[in-house]
Amino acid sequence: MKALIKDYLKNFKGNRYFWAGLVMTLMILLIAVVGYFWTPYSTTEMSATERFQAPSFRHLFGTDNFGRDIFSRVMKGIGTTVFISSLVVILSGAAGIVIGALTGYFGGIVDEIVMRITDAINGFPSILLGLVMITLMGSGSHNLIVSLAIVFTPSYVRIVRSEFIKLRDADYIKRARLMGVGHIRILFVHILPNIFSVFWASMMIGFNNAILAESGMSYLGIGVQPPDASLGKMLSDAQGYLMTAPWYALSPGLAIVWIVLGFSLLSEGIRRLQE
Amino acid sequence: MKYFGKKFITLIMTLFIVSVAAFIAFQIIPGDVVTSILGTESTPEREAQLRAELGLDQPPVQRYFSWMGGVLQGDLGVSYRYSKNMNEMMPVAELIGDKLPVTLWLAAISLVLIIVLSIPLGVLWARSKSKLLDVLMGIGTQTAMAVPSFFLGILVTYFFGIFLRWFTPGGYVSYHTDFWRFLGYLLFPAISIAIPKIAMTARFLRNSMMTEMDADYVRTAYSKGCSKRRVMYRHVLRNAMMPVVTFLGMIIAEIIAGSIVVEQVFGLPGVGRLLISSVSTRDFPVVQILILYITFVVIFVYFLVDILYRVIDPRISSK
Amino acid sequence: MIKIENLSVAFEETLAVNQLNLEIFDGEILGIVGESGSGKSVTALSVMGLLSSEATIKGGSIRMGEDWLIKDGKAQDKERLRKAQGNRMSMVFQEPMTSLNPTQKVGGQVDEVLLLHTKMEAQERYDKVLEAFKSVGLKNVEKVYDSYPHQLSGGMRQRVMIAMAIILKPELLIADEPTTALDVRVQNQIIQVLRNINKEQKTSMLFITHDLNLARRICNRIAVMKDGKLVEIGPTEEVFGNPKEPYTRKLIEAVPSRVKEKEDAPECTEEVSVNILEVRDLNIYYHEGSNSLFGQKKKRCVVENATFTLEKGETLGLVGESGCGKTSLCKAILGMNKLVEGEVKHFSTRPQMVFQDPYSSLNPAKTIGWLLQEPLRAAGKLDPACKMTDADMKAAAYDMLQKIGMPEKYFNRWPSQLSGGQRQRISIGQALITRPGLVIADEPVSALDVTIQAQIMELMQKLQEELQLSYLFISHDINVIYKMSDRIMVMKDGKIVEIGDKEVLFTNPKEEYTRLLFAES
Repeated sequence: MKALIKDYLKNFKGNRYFWAGLVMTLMILLIAVVGYFWTPYSTTEMSATERFQAPSFRHLFGTDNFGRDIFSRVMKGIGTTVFISSLVVILSGAAGIVIGALTGYFGGIVDEIVMRITDAINGFPSILLGLVMITLMGSGSHNLIVSLAIVFTPSYVRIVRSEFIKLRDADYIKRARLMGVGHIRILFVHILPNIFSVFWASMMIGFNNAILAESGMSYLGIGVQPPDASLGKMLSDAQGYLMTAPWYALSPGLAIVWIVLGFSLLSEGIRRLQE
Repeated sequence: MKYFGKKFITLIMTLFIVSVAAFIAFQIIPGDVVTSILGTESTPEREAQLRAELGLDQPPVQRYFSWMGGVLQGDLGVSYRYSKNMNEMMPVAELIGDKLPVTLWLAAISLVLIIVLSIPLGVLWARSKSKLLDVLMGIGTQTAMAVPSFFLGILVTYFFGIFLRWFTPGGYVSYHTDFWRFLGYLLFPAISIAIPKIAMTARFLRNSMMTEMDADYVRTAYSKGCSKRRVMYRHVLRNAMMPVVTFLGMIIAEIIAGSIVVEQVFGLPGVGRLLISSVSTRDFPVVQILILYITFVVIFVYFLVDILYRVIDPRISSK
Repeated sequence: MIKIENLSVAFEETLAVNQLNLEIFDGEILGIVGESGSGKSVTALSVMGLLSSEATIKGGSIRMGEDWLIKDGKAQDKERLRKAQGNRMSMVFQEPMTSLNPTQKVGGQVDEVLLLHTKMEAQERYDKVLEAFKSVGLKNVEKVYDSYPHQLSGGMRQRVMIAMAIILKPELLIADEPTTALDVRVQNQIIQVLRNINKEQKTSMLFITHDLNLARRICNRIAVMKDGKLVEIGPTEEVFGNPKEPYTRKLIEAVPSRVKEKEDAPECTEEVSVNILEVRDLNIYYHEGSNSLFGQKKKRCVVENATFTLEKGETLGLVGESGCGKTSLCKAILGMNKLVEGEVKHFSTRPQMVFQDPYSSLNPAKTIGWLLQEPLRAAGKLDPACKMTDADMKAAAYDMLQKIGMPEKYFNRWPSQLSGGQRQRISIGQALITRPGLVIADEPVSALDVTIQAQIMELMQKLQEELQLSYLFISHDINVIYKMSDRIMVMKDGKIVEIGDKEVLFTNPKEEYTRLLFAES
């Protein structure tokens, strides 16, 4: 047993992807949590005298067109983005598991219909679908979460479904059926634990896609609404002042890159651990 | 051939379902279009008149078929927001027709950039034994994939437009005026779309090649006395390209998504920008048509990829 | 011809081949036998210069005639090695399915050998490839030339592989389990082809196999390997007739042989003959081309008019080539196939099944203890009368562990920590824990090494006696069937060809097909 644990730890040691990703992700989480309770400056208060300050010790990332501290707003923005994306992934992942498990295992006409729908949605650029959803439901954070969750569900359905199709004919599942184990128990006790690693990997990819979709929609002005800070919206504001205040665009953009990169390194690291 | 027939029927059916879905979706939206168009000038008579003009006084099923019938004959309906002049409404067809070439050219340039750059990159990566190159490519592609296209657009604007002055940000030239300068301007948004996809495709190709290199037939090839070079190009590459073709097909959908955002960044008067503005002004006829149009493009591309796949993979085509 | 001296090859730190000395003489067939992990394939790959990058040569030399392939732990330079590969020496691999490039026509793939090693013109090469195809017994050679691998059967693919290997009349042909993935009858044809090549072209052969019977039939000399070391080497009949080493003896004894009689077989059946399974006029169908939305469903009969019975405590062996309907028959008996006509009656609580692949028959996400208890939980849910307390179930599971010969400490382990043989034991335990009277075993030992095979068969016989079990035992290996069965049933193309007592069937088969099947192994 000891040797086993040692072996496992040895895997962690050489795994640079894992550690780099973990450190980057933890930093983001820390910033998000701290930003929720405290920021160096107010994120909404405007000040005409402080407009377009270049980065300095007073304002680490400078100030924006309303004289607000960009660092504080990036902190808040990271929180918003991470929060929304997490919710989106959790909601769509849960829906994906239930729908994918049932359709994949039982098959039949319902499966056929669900597959046609998920295929159609899956082939669709997610941001476009999000756009349509927002048109239907109106903008705002709540609608953004719901619409992105709906948009992302089919990708999970697809993955979960194909795993269930693969495993429903596995010898050990056939044998479970012979023992007389009920369908629901087979679904969630016998099969589900086996798809966990695949599902986990797709959740991580999904999280990154959610971040990109959320910030993209906020950039287009149909996601998070002002005065709430959001990285995408900050970027679209900053674009107008690219000549005079280039630093304004840099920090929110880099924040998005940081989140996504950290998370993909982490998931790559975990994938290598599992091998 | 039977297969293609079947696929074609599915294609038509999907389009039909999407059109119905789009139609229904915009029926259930709260708020009356007519009152919102007329705004403060609304009187009962004018409302009734406009309603009749837009065909909104008919039952939904009939309205769907007259809309669809129109679309099939090239009549895409009229915009709620734009008008040609005081008395004439703006046909959606005219509105879109002007913007279509911009988006299509943008997507085409991006796709060419992706294919031309990602394949050699992926092969080089798979072939190289250098640990350093492997790490650099690993980190480089991961980073490139993490940059959202609109931020990339801003970076490209700053670097090429403001710093190097290779182009004037916002200085879009219409293809009517000067086609080559039009293409020249499109190159920069295309770069913004392409970079993350190049990284993705190169990674995908590299992984695909690595998997193929472990296959039994590779060992057979070596046992015949093939050199590594020959094994790579004669045996591995073709097999490794199969999944990449499908992957590129899927990327096209994302290129279109990317163009919606990037058009906004570079101020390109394309379909994406029209879509955003129509969404925010709730110009439903335009949105409906654009959804249908983008669906058509995406599905049609999938259809083409499917055919291509069957041509290059003997395992499927000769069954 | 080939001389291997003190060869050591390591994967990471473990030695796969350890100080091996071996010689292959001109024109002989040398067999290397051993269980998986004994280093026989690694030896072959070292000779061919095809070791993967994870393997390192730790020392030793390989010489081919006057040329060094490996000298003092250093491989010859690649350029010169390539000249010998495919030309002076060549190799046939185990998996004909995957060993050919799926996207190239097979003709072109054979042609590549000529392209690399000769200066022949295109037409000349084409003729030569066709000639090679003919020499390995392929028919319709022009058509084969233009086929893709997936269009050929397994046997044809292996013939193509052999043609590719012999086209330049190499001095040495290495065959690594060339028939393992094939059906019995195809196996024999391929063996015949290899023999002819050896005889006609005087090609030396290194024949690697885990199948001792096969090695005995084809090889002039046999080398036995274990854990990377050479255990014993000598002329075939000497090694088999008079093994010097205990390991060799163990290996030979483990091989189920028809000569040895099962001691207590007759007694069991004499007592009371009660049927536990009755199958009458059973027809089984399959949907063909059932493309749910568009295609109309066609029914195809896969098993026709099956009628037989199985007595309590008896083992009925079922033989037949792949695709003859064995699996469909089992599924139908277990009620897993709904498209049946006729009568299946069994007098047992939920008959259970043991599958071939030990790696896919245990749920990898659960511990052994959990797996052994799950059938009891399921039974408790189905029938409240069978409900057991947690403690009882645990006790039953421990009891079963002991019955199947596994130490108690395995209770909390995961399937991934077990070997193939151990997994198969757990599978059997899982099938038996609810005490069914009837167990269907679908090739339960085919994926195992010979010594493990023998242990599992012994276990199954022991449990049969203890628990009064009836087995329907499927295998393609006639010797295994002989060892396990009381009666044998032969199937072909969905029909039962012959059924009867095993001795009668072996000594005096009524049907030509049965005779062929038994004669060939």
